[in-house]
Amino acid sequence: MDSENGDKAILSVSGLRTYFFTKNGTVKAVDDISFDLRKGEILCIVGESGSGKTVTALSLLRLIEPPGRIVEGKIMFEEKNLLDIPISEMQKIRGNRIAMIFQDPHSSLNPVLTIGEQITEAMTAHRNLAKSEAKAQTIELLRLVEIPEPERRFHEYPHQFSGGMKQRVMVAMALACEPSVLIADEPTTALDLTIQAQILDLFMELRKKFSMSIIYITHDLGVVSELADRIAVMYGGRIMEKGRRDDVLKNPLHPYTRGLIDCLLSESEKLASIPGTIPNLIDLPEGCIFHPRCISAMDICRTERPGSSKIETEHYVYCFRYGGR
Amino acid sequence: MRLAAYYWERTKRQRPAMAGLAFIIFLIILAVSGPFFTVSPTQVNFDEKNIPPPGFTLEQSIYNASSGGFVTTVQRGTWEHPLGTDGMGRDMLAMLISGARVSLLVGLLATGIAIIIGALIGITSAYFGGAMDSVLMRATDIFMTFPFLLLLILIVYLFGSSLTLIIMAIGLTGWTGTARLVRSETLSLRTREFIMASKALGASHLRIIFYHLLPNTLSSIIVLATLSIPGAILAEAALSFIGLGDPQVASWGNILNAGQGSLQTAWWVAVEPGMMLFFTVLAFNFMGEGMREAFEPGGD
Repeated sequence: MDSENGDKAILSVSGLRTYFFTKNGTVKAVDDISFDLRKGEILCIVGESGSGKTVTALSLLRLIEPPGRIVEGKIMFEEKNLLDIPISEMQKIRGNRIAMIFQDPHSSLNPVLTIGEQITEAMTAHRNLAKSEAKAQTIELLRLVEIPEPERRFHEYPHQFSGGMKQRVMVAMALACEPSVLIADEPTTALDLTIQAQILDLFMELRKKFSMSIIYITHDLGVVSELADRIAVMYGGRIMEKGRRDDVLKNPLHPYTRGLIDCLLSESEKLASIPGTIPNLIDLPEGCIFHPRCISAMDICRTERPGSSKIETEHYVYCFRYGGR
Repeated sequence: MRLAAYYWERTKRQRPAMAGLAFIIFLIILAVSGPFFTVSPTQVNFDEKNIPPPGFTLEQSIYNASSGGFVTTVQRGTWEHPLGTDGMGRDMLAMLISGARVSLLVGLLATGIAIIIGALIGITSAYFGGAMDSVLMRATDIFMTFPFLLLLILIVYLFGSSLTLIIMAIGLTGWTGTARLVRSETLSLRTREFIMASKALGASHLRIIFYHLLPNTLSSIIVLATLSIPGAILAEAALSFIGLGDPQVASWGNILNAGQGSLQTAWWVAVEPGMMLFFTVLAFNFMGEGMREAFEPGGD
């Protein structure tokens, strides 16, 4: 277990393991990860599909459904371990203190309810508000996320909104109770590039306005370089490297992080790629799970799992090349 | 609600559905206003038995008190009884209107009960899944295989026959189809992202069920309800026909039963309630079908 400067952390995850017990075996979707989120910072969790990013996010809100289960770990938030409190108390935290935005805005809104009703619902789930008051605040929120003509749009259905506008509605819903932590699970993946930039701007602005802490999950290093204060790189359900943005992006140490950045910045004609594919999470390789694809794997990588090595303040890497014991 | 207006626009284009709706509205108006312009449906008058509808005649022997014997006379229909009278001289129009009231009451209330039970069981079953799903669905299977008419007969035999009891009995046995339909719809809905999104924002189970799941299954529930009203009406008619209906009220089933003996002479006594049943069932079916078509996505 690594010790970061946990005193300032608003949300602190340690040793989290979330497994899915399927008929074909146990899928270790999240396998012993730890990270801290501080007040007002944006933490980007980066990784390819199937690396456990979304499961991590859902675990934070305890939204893992059978056959999945959080096996072990600690999620400290406002001096409570979220994994110890009863589910009824968890429900009061969801949306209220920690809110989440999902990947696909097209399917994240209920098609038969107007967006006004849905935002109001999110608002009144945790707060006692008169109907007129809730409506006024909802319209205020719509204005905040820059939806034009909020009074009229309030009464419209999701199908009357474009993808970018729907994602703004989702952001408005997440902000309805002014949570201190916002989890965004690839919120721009389903949108086209220009809209994506607008939504990113919105996130930056919200962070400034509410000094909100944001966990931003993405596979897009371009987004990361623009948005992140700190980065955690995930692979196969584990964190490979984490640290401040510039440390990780300018001085990537883990062979996997390097590979990822090479894919992005390759100057040669041929696009660089990491050889091999992401491992089957049921049948994980022994030792470091990245070793079958690692260009600098050593003998020890095949048998033992690397621990964290502190490179600089807050820059950690899980690799035997840098110690890792 | 704009959505309702949209579906109404689409339903309006279905001609049979509109014809069905017109007939049902007509029936409801008759059933409600009937008591104000007809004679009592239970008023017996043996002097006026088996009067045919206007335009028809019937040759029958009637007891003549002054001569002390039977005389054969030709009965002519009069406008005093526009649909004729039955073997006890009761006005057919009045009885049919009373029957309409019974049928609509049974159809709407029994279906209402069945739909509410079925929807709740179906949604609960699918939403919570696991053991809850198994228990509720096995219970549904058992209810489904149980011979429903036999159960009704048993209930009526045990507790006596009243309209309330019949409505309850039909409602409490008729929910299985709804439960299955709603369950299958909910199964696909619950994996939709907006349910997860709603949970992530702190919605409780009750809130998700009544705020997200129910409204999304409502269109199928409405269609199914409309299509199961005829079943309930026919079930009541069947019970009344075999003499297990509420003897206090004139319903189409027991009029039909009373008329079947004199089918060769006073044919209208059986034919008229038969026609009413036929058209009412048809009207509800047309409406249900039309709504199903209108609610189906991509029909434009």
